[in-house]
Amino acid sequence: MTEVNSLIVDKPRRARWMRLPVGRWQRCCAAVVLLSCAFSWAQTSKPSDSQVEAAYLYNFGKFVTWPSNRAATSYAFYICVLGKDPFGPILDETVNGEQIDGKKVGILRISRLQEVRSCNILFVSSSEEKRLPTIIVEAERVHVLTVSDMPHFAERGGTIGLVNHNDRIRFEVNRAAAEKCHLGLSSELLKVALRVIGGKTARN
Amino acid sequence: MALKRTASISTRLTLMNMLVSGVALLLACAGFFTYDQITFRQGLLRTLSAQAQIVGSNSVSAILFNDPQAASGTLSALQSSPNISAAGIITSDGRALAQYSRDGKSEILNIPHLDESKREGYWLARGYVILIRRIVSEGKPIGFVYLRASLADIDRRLRRYALIAFGVLLVSLIAANAVSSTFRRSVAQPIIQLAEAAQRFSRDKNYAMRVSPPAEQNEMAVLVKSFNEMLNELQKSHEELERRVAERTRELLSANRELEAFSYSVSHDLRGPLDAINGFSYLMMQQFGPGIGTRQQELLENIRASSRKMTDLIDDLLNLSRVNSSAMRTETVDLSGTARSIMEELCASSPERKVEFISADKTEVIGDARLLRILMDNLLRNAWKYTSHHDRARIEFGVIRENGRIMHFVKDDGSGFDPRAADRLFQPFQRLHSAAEFPGSGVGLATVQRIVRRHGGEVWATGEIEKGATFYFTINAPRDYAF
Repeated sequence: MTEVNSLIVDKPRRARWMRLPVGRWQRCCAAVVLLSCAFSWAQTSKPSDSQVEAAYLYNFGKFVTWPSNRAATSYAFYICVLGKDPFGPILDETVNGEQIDGKKVGILRISRLQEVRSCNILFVSSSEEKRLPTIIVEAERVHVLTVSDMPHFAERGGTIGLVNHNDRIRFEVNRAAAEKCHLGLSSELLKVALRVIGGKTARN
Repeated sequence: MALKRTASISTRLTLMNMLVSGVALLLACAGFFTYDQITFRQGLLRTLSAQAQIVGSNSVSAILFNDPQAASGTLSALQSSPNISAAGIITSDGRALAQYSRDGKSEILNIPHLDESKREGYWLARGYVILIRRIVSEGKPIGFVYLRASLADIDRRLRRYALIAFGVLLVSLIAANAVSSTFRRSVAQPIIQLAEAAQRFSRDKNYAMRVSPPAEQNEMAVLVKSFNEMLNELQKSHEELERRVAERTRELLSANRELEAFSYSVSHDLRGPLDAINGFSYLMMQQFGPGIGTRQQELLENIRASSRKMTDLIDDLLNLSRVNSSAMRTETVDLSGTARSIMEELCASSPERKVEFISADKTEVIGDARLLRILMDNLLRNAWKYTSHHDRARIEFGVIRENGRIMHFVKDDGSGFDPRAADRLFQPFQRLHSAAEFPGSGVGLATVQRIVRRHGGEVWATGEIEKGATFYFTINAPRDYAF
């Protein structure tokens, strides 16, 4: 299954990424990461948490609707990583060539809150835990979907919190937070959420 | 179906009717059935396809966020479709995210192992159909929905159709039979009547009968009318023929009677003068015999011999005419007895001859005793006469049964006859031997033939010169034979 996985999902993407105009050092890094990833897959026979989280991050975009005024001003769909990037090249690799709502998906690594306005999805790194309330206020203001793997993220005002549940990456959704950000969450998304907070139809 | 050659028109008509309606109905049923099967199958596939589409789009998030529970929830909605026996949601790498099986036995295809062409579409197998649909997110395939539906509904429909078709066929055959019986009455019945009438006619020779014409004014009526007209004509010509035959018979009979009366009276009248000649020449011999010379005596003897011969001839002619004209009284006659008594008479008349007579025992026939005696007398006397030149003779009367035909015969070992002249034997006054050799008038065998013919029989002879002759005859007169 690992073989099939790597064949179908990864190989063509890796090949395309290899052709990107990046430096030798980065390539080496990527190669090392990939090799380690491949090694870890072989061990656990499933994708790494980072890969899964990266894929989720991108997939959330398909089930969330942004306020129309906002969507109209953007020509690209940006997934931003605020703070220390836990994904490395995996995220770029995951979204490479993908589109959401007909818009090309791009990755922005930001450190300042002012930059949040150009994002659709904001991944809040665990490194930003201390200024989380500020971030959430800013996200509500500029209608950004906040995602993070820090503990109890959804309970603390984030919209989607990634959690490790029974050795699987799942997510919790805070509907109230989504409403504050003027974001529409698809029922499909809520259906597969581990927990829905502040909503009428919570699973589990 | 091979129809028997002897099958009647009515049977043929009924069969034809039932066959035509049966075939038409079967074809119609087959057409309807095929159409229904096709539309039903298409409907089934459309429904399946729609279900697969719904399941597919409802499982996008489950696949993307790797949630087997949600996928199973989506699949469990298929419980409301009883014809779906198994279903599965499979990721593009071949992992079965969720499976559903109606009867608990999971049977999921390993889709990645299938050909590329089979990953989207359906195929029919024995008893079920398999449908596979890609699940697409943002234009990219992320997995497959797999549905397996039982075709039991189609089979059930097929059975129900067959049952209905059979029922309709049965009912319509009965109806066709009922309808055709009406037509049978109007088409076959007149033909059957006609055939029966023709048969009756040829059997009974009833010229007076007619066939009642059918109510319809069609070809059958023409046929019946023509048949009746033909019968009319036949009756007319038959009556004409009968009339003519009766007339001719009457004419012939009167002519014959006149002729016979004439010959009888002639013969009778001729006897008077002959008796006179005979008597006077006898008296002359008695009275003047010693006084006249030997030469005169010889002449007188010649006169007497000739007149006796003439008397015999006239007797024979009278006999022949009596055979023709006398009425017949039929009874059972023992020919053997008759033959024996005749032979005794003959032996008594010439005791010096050595003749062995053999006769069959009790040969009974039905006929006129007097005529049959004349017949036997002529035949035996003939045999007696033509064996007279032999020292020892053998005369046999017997019966031969051949192919149910009874033939009597009188056989001798006398001088026989030339077989080339056999056809002249039975003609009157025709003689195969000279009078000097064998005396006779040449009327005897003609008389025999007349008698045999009056008894409805035949007579013929076989023989060779100096090797004897055999005269065969048959007697066919029935007890109430009327002449």
